[in-house]
Amino acid sequence: MAAKDLVASGNTVIGPSILISGKLTGDEDLTVRGRVEGELSLTKTLIVEPSGVVKANVTVKNAVVSGVVVGNIQASESVELTHEGRMVGDIRAPRVIIVDGASFRGRVDMGELPPGRTLPERSTPRTQLRPTVRSLPPPPPRPATAAARPGATGATATASAAARKPGGMPGIVRTEARTPPPAPPTPPVVAAGAKKKVVLKKRK
Amino acid sequence: MANTVIGSSIVIDGEISGDEDLVIQGTVKGKISLRESLFVEGSGVVEADIETQNVEIAGRVTGNIQASDKVELKADCRVVGDVKAPRILIADGASFKGNVDMDVKER
Repeated sequence: MAAKDLVASGNTVIGPSILISGKLTGDEDLTVRGRVEGELSLTKTLIVEPSGVVKANVTVKNAVVSGVVVGNIQASESVELTHEGRMVGDIRAPRVIIVDGASFRGRVDMGELPPGRTLPERSTPRTQLRPTVRSLPPPPPRPATAAARPGATGATATASAAARKPGGMPGIVRTEARTPPPAPPTPPVVAAGAKKKVVLKKRK
Repeated sequence: MANTVIGSSIVIDGEISGDEDLVIQGTVKGKISLRESLFVEGSGVVEADIETQNVEIAGRVTGNIQASDKVELKADCRVVGDVKAPRILIADGASFKGNVDMDVKER
C-alpha cells in the first residue's frame, strides 16, 4: 500500500472520502479512491482503486479498474478490469483486458482489428460454413424436377431427417430438418467471440 | 495519509465535497466543501465558493471563503472574494480584495 502511495505521489489522487461531481479533465494520471460523478477525460491513465467509485462517462488513454465504474469508458489504448473490478457500461478500446474475478455488464468494442491477425482466420470458417448451409436449401429446386414423383423425395427427406434426428415424428422432423440450417450461422459468431478472448490471453 | 491531490494539469468543473484534506495544484471551478483543510498551492487556481475548516492559499482563488477555523493567505497568493472565519491570517506579499468577517461574537 505504501509503495502504491509512493507511485501515486505527484499525481492526482481523489481520496476515499472525497466526492467530485461535475466535469474533470486533465493531462496526468488520476487515481480515484473516492467518488467521481459526471464526466472524466484524461490524456493519461485512470486508476480506479478498490475503494473508488466512478459514475461517469470516461475518456482516457488507459484505464485500470479495480473498483466500481458505472458508465462508458472510451480509451485510446487499453482498458483493464482487474479481479476486483466491477463495471456496468460500454467499453471502447483497442485493447480490453478482463481478468478472472472481474464483473462486467455492457458492450465491448475493440474497433477494427489489426490487419492480418485473426480476421482472415475467422472469415474462412464463415465462408466454409455458409456453403454448407446453402447446400441444404437447394432442395427447393429439386422438387420441381422431382415433382413427378413426390413420394421418392419425401422418402429421401425423411430418410436424411431420420439420419439426423432419429426418433422424431416424420412430419415434424421434416420441418426440423429445415430448421437446423438457420442454427449454424450463430456458432461462427460465438466462435468469433471465443477467439477474441483467446487473442486477449495471448497478448497478456 | 489519505491525502487528496488535484494535480497541476487537472481541471475540475463541478463540486468537490469530502471529509479529508485536499491539495489543489490544478484548477477547480464550482464549489468546494470539506470538513478538513484545503491547501491551494502556488500553481492552484480556484474559482469556487469554499466551505471548510482550514484554508491555506498560496495560489489564486476567486470566490467566497468560509472556514470554521482558519483562513491563511500566504505570500504571493491572489484572492478575490469575501472571507469569513474566526481566524484570518494575511501574510506580507499577499494580494487580497474583498470583505473580511472574523465572525466576532459579541456577548
